[in-house]
Amino acid sequence: MDELDILKKDWQKTDANQKTLSSKEIYPMLLKKSSSIVKTLFYISIGELVFWILINSIPYFSSEAYKAKLEAMYGDGLITVILTLFSYGVILLFVYLLFKSHKEISVTDNAKKLMESILKTRKVIKWYVIYNLVMAFVYLTVGTYLAVTHNPELSHQITEFSNKQMFVASAIITVFFAVFIFVIWLFYRLIYGILLRRLNKNYKELKKLEI
Amino acid sequence: MDKKLENSFVELLEKHQNIVHKVCRLYTNNQDAHNDLFQEITIQLWKAYPKFRGDAKFSTWMYRVGLNTAITLYRKSKRRINTQEFDSVQFKIKAEAYDDTEEQQLKVLYKAVHQLNDIEKALVFLYLEDKNYSEISETLGISEVNARVKMNRIKTKLKTILNP
Repeated sequence: MDELDILKKDWQKTDANQKTLSSKEIYPMLLKKSSSIVKTLFYISIGELVFWILINSIPYFSSEAYKAKLEAMYGDGLITVILTLFSYGVILLFVYLLFKSHKEISVTDNAKKLMESILKTRKVIKWYVIYNLVMAFVYLTVGTYLAVTHNPELSHQITEFSNKQMFVASAIITVFFAVFIFVIWLFYRLIYGILLRRLNKNYKELKKLEI
Repeated sequence: MDKKLENSFVELLEKHQNIVHKVCRLYTNNQDAHNDLFQEITIQLWKAYPKFRGDAKFSTWMYRVGLNTAITLYRKSKRRINTQEFDSVQFKIKAEAYDDTEEQQLKVLYKAVHQLNDIEKALVFLYLEDKNYSEISETLGISEVNARVKMNRIKTKLKTILNP
């Protein structure tokens, strides 16, 4: 008899010693809230959506004067309208994808499938964050460029720059923005890394069995 | 949710609660954590219950939901036992205390099983519950052959622990 069979014999005997709960004790348990990883992920995804919608909406909530200044700097309204429509389209697409992937998570699937569904949801959020970070980088660099060239005071100062100075200044600003975006990305990685550490470990373990 | 559904669920859970207790016993190391995991599994079972079709056995269905919650969904990692990779050096000290009496042997075995990783524990759990390899492979989503191979490795691991 191997070790596990010795254990099995004892394991099956322990049924009788187990503390049992009465139905009276079980009923209140049904009312408690879940603290599962799926729920946390769901709240995070909602948080991400709201956060980036708010960030993108800041110019629209700002003062009239600021809005007028922005319009003057960034040219005619058509591009702004197209960009706004595009960004809302992307948000809608992500809401749909998130909703769909959340619906696909089922605790009654097998362990591997369940892990895959959760990781898929996490991937949707990841792409949403990447999209927003890329857009933030583009907006920051293009915005700075437009601000510099369209702002009379700044553009006057810049005409005094030599080509080399101009190049160095642009490079510094671009690198600064890139580092800034990268740091935010690392922060995200850390949050998800901590949240999904166990899941990733167990998923890897299951995948390892297939090799 | 309607009262009838609630009553039938509670009745079934009360009857089969041993399965949930056993999952908790394997995946936690103190009473607080045990209760906590029991609570989470109950919620997950209850949430999934409306979709439960009578053609599957309630107990079989419970194994799946219980293990999924313990392995994947349960989040309060601070309270749970550290599931380190197996390290034979670590067990040598404990194994020294091992003698031939069955009780001692069981104690060491339980300790060793507790230190397996989450997936290995799931395999051991289903094995201890007398599930066949087809059921094990369906619950975990791995092939039957791989389930067998892994199980044999776990057995060897346990042997090494007991006979360093």
